[in-house]
Amino acid sequence: MNKIGRLLLVGFMMSMAWVFAFSANAQEMTIALGSEPTTLDPQLREDGGERAVNDNIYETLLARTPDGTLVPGLAVAPPKLLDPESWEVKLRPGIKFHDGTPFNAEAVVFSVKRIIDPEFNSEQVSFFFTITGAKKIDDLTVKILTKGPDPILPSRLYWMKMVPPGYANNPKFAEAPMGTGPYRFVHWNRGQDILLQINNGYWGEKPQIKTVNYRFVEEPGTRLAGLKAGEFDLITNLLPEFTKQVPQAPHVLGLEHPIVILNADAGPTKDVRVRQALNYAVDKEALAEGLYENFAQVAQGQLLSPSFFGFNKDVGPYPYDPKKAKSLLKQAGAVGATVEIIGTSGRWLKDREVVEAVAGYWDQVGIKTKVRIFEFNEYLNRLFDRKTRADAIFVVSSNELLDADKSFSAYYKAGGIGSSNTDAALAGLIDKARTETNVEKRASLYHQAVKRAHDQAYFVWLLNIEDIYGMSKRIDWTARVDAKMLVKEMRVRE
Amino acid sequence: MGRYLLKRLRHGVIVILGVTVLVFVVTRLVGDPVKVMLPLEATLEQRAAFERQLGLDRPIPVQFIDFVVDVAHLDFGDSLWQHRPAMEIVFEKLPLTVELAIFGIGMAFLLSIPLGIIAALRPGGLVDRGTVFFSLIGFSIPQFWLGLLLIVIFAVKLHWLPTSGVATPVHIILPAITMGLPTLARLVMMVRSSMIDELNQQYVKTGHAKGIPYYRVVGVHAMRNAALPVVTLVGWELIRALAGYSVVVETVFAWPGIGLTAIQAIEREDLILLQAIVFTVGIMVVLINIFMDVIYTIVDPRLKLQ
Repeated sequence: MNKIGRLLLVGFMMSMAWVFAFSANAQEMTIALGSEPTTLDPQLREDGGERAVNDNIYETLLARTPDGTLVPGLAVAPPKLLDPESWEVKLRPGIKFHDGTPFNAEAVVFSVKRIIDPEFNSEQVSFFFTITGAKKIDDLTVKILTKGPDPILPSRLYWMKMVPPGYANNPKFAEAPMGTGPYRFVHWNRGQDILLQINNGYWGEKPQIKTVNYRFVEEPGTRLAGLKAGEFDLITNLLPEFTKQVPQAPHVLGLEHPIVILNADAGPTKDVRVRQALNYAVDKEALAEGLYENFAQVAQGQLLSPSFFGFNKDVGPYPYDPKKAKSLLKQAGAVGATVEIIGTSGRWLKDREVVEAVAGYWDQVGIKTKVRIFEFNEYLNRLFDRKTRADAIFVVSSNELLDADKSFSAYYKAGGIGSSNTDAALAGLIDKARTETNVEKRASLYHQAVKRAHDQAYFVWLLNIEDIYGMSKRIDWTARVDAKMLVKEMRVRE
Repeated sequence: MGRYLLKRLRHGVIVILGVTVLVFVVTRLVGDPVKVMLPLEATLEQRAAFERQLGLDRPIPVQFIDFVVDVAHLDFGDSLWQHRPAMEIVFEKLPLTVELAIFGIGMAFLLSIPLGIIAALRPGGLVDRGTVFFSLIGFSIPQFWLGLLLIVIFAVKLHWLPTSGVATPVHIILPAITMGLPTLARLVMMVRSSMIDELNQQYVKTGHAKGIPYYRVVGVHAMRNAALPVVTLVGWELIRALAGYSVVVETVFAWPGIGLTAIQAIEREDLILLQAIVFTVGIMVVLINIFMDVIYTIVDPRLKLQ
């Protein structure tokens, strides 16, 4: 055979190999993520790609149901408060890591100490900064210690992945992870893919899907094309405008809240009537429909989703009422006042568009709105500037612990990193709630904080964005409120 | 020639050092990785601790001296984003981009010569006008759009080729075409116009009159003279492929090369990785330029390297 003939044959064989690789097996699936994990050490980085993969390999003491309720995971029951600064966790017996080493109190103590070790320098430390240590009581009982009372500890434990004590010290650990979860690690070709396979010794209900392949595609249009071509079964962060093109688009109210922080201490927004007017002026429903194709819901007048701890169901959104806005502005003598709104572009879904739409609504009720869109770094300089607060700053808050503390400490509480008020009473409520271990009392403190901030209109609460996925016809799955993609909850339709 | 190469290399080193220093200064002026890498809600104490960890709390001159020492050792330190040596990442990604550039630009080069010559043989003829027309389209198409268009046609509709990734050799076809097509268009135009110039020269007529076969006159004598500007353009296109096109093409096709990595490093304010990338690509550019100079002397021995 001549050279050209041989080349053609090789080419043909390679394309056939590709075709075979491409016709998916019944119990296999491929997930396309927007970014590749930087490491597969589950305790080191704050990295969405890493989390998406490791959520299937590792487990936590507490887990959440798809609607966000905390339930026992590797723990057999919810943690018990022994005294204000220590919690007792009882472990589920008989659980093993993928290599057969038992999961026990030592593993928990090791995992806790590893992640809070300052030498280890975990980027996740902001989730665990109240935890001071852990002690083994017996083989299946652990005591977790906190600095002062920490009512959020159960939520924190839902975030902390349990690692195997011996193997975690192996330098290969970050590239070849091993946990207790329903899937075990097979390989990671950097830049290309990660492959997981079912863990036959899994303690919980056996998943249906045997093999999961992860691919990394940053460009949303390419992810969409891969789904439409049948290469991917599930893609993340589907743009709202693409939802009509995909076989299935599972969506769920997510953890992201776009809001506008109003300066309550200076400028025209110092007057509460102006701040209320700015709320009444914006048609939130039109924003949800026009910009997000209805894959967003109007925020309930608070920086919390209904699934978060602290959500106050008695507080709702400011209705769209331009007349009322105008009359409030007139009372405040602020008709024609100039309000500067700071935003950025390309960081969050439709960030610039939202700011421009809000400015348009404000203009309509008689405010002179000055829109200033900055590159992200410069934008952050303004957001974090504690000396001079801009009149209005657009931001998207995200809250992975599903607990009011994080968002409120950052935005509601005076002196918080993105806060623009000096309301001592509000700050008092948030501080008190941070250490209140009685669940009902704590909830009530947050309810008061939500109400107070709402009445004072410290923010323009806009929307609660939905997470949208694109999914092929053959997969059956309901999206979770905590944005985790647990393959054990997915099914291939026969 | 050896003397000349040494001189060029010396210039090259100065260029690379200049570019690297520029990157150091610019990234430190505009960027702050601490702000971008931590979650928005992180507290001021957490930010300060992180800054210390990255060594970015030290005065800029101190950082610069460290940086110069690092460059001298060809070790830029660990990437802030990936927590592994930046050079390791560069060496992992660069071959993929080189592969893509060689395929894409090589294909364009090989196709452009026959196409350009055919068009030049009868300027104003139907073939010529067709070539000019398609070339104009070819280099007017935004590469980003071209890539997505090819994906829609060949992957989504026809199912002939994969949409993205690098798993098999078939995966290179669409990205290489996307990378090479605008280059092909520019090269065809260049081959065509230099050939038209050459074919109007007296020596072509003389050769013809002497009875040298026409294909030899065109393919050997005229082509050799027409080659210089084409070689220049190929070198230039190769440089742009490595340092420019790769960013767009690799993003569209999820091709994990140096261009995609550069964009990701910029998004994440990974100063260390960015420096390593710019440094390495700078070296490649200098080497390609020197290589092209050598090619000149082969094509036209009258040009001596001095």
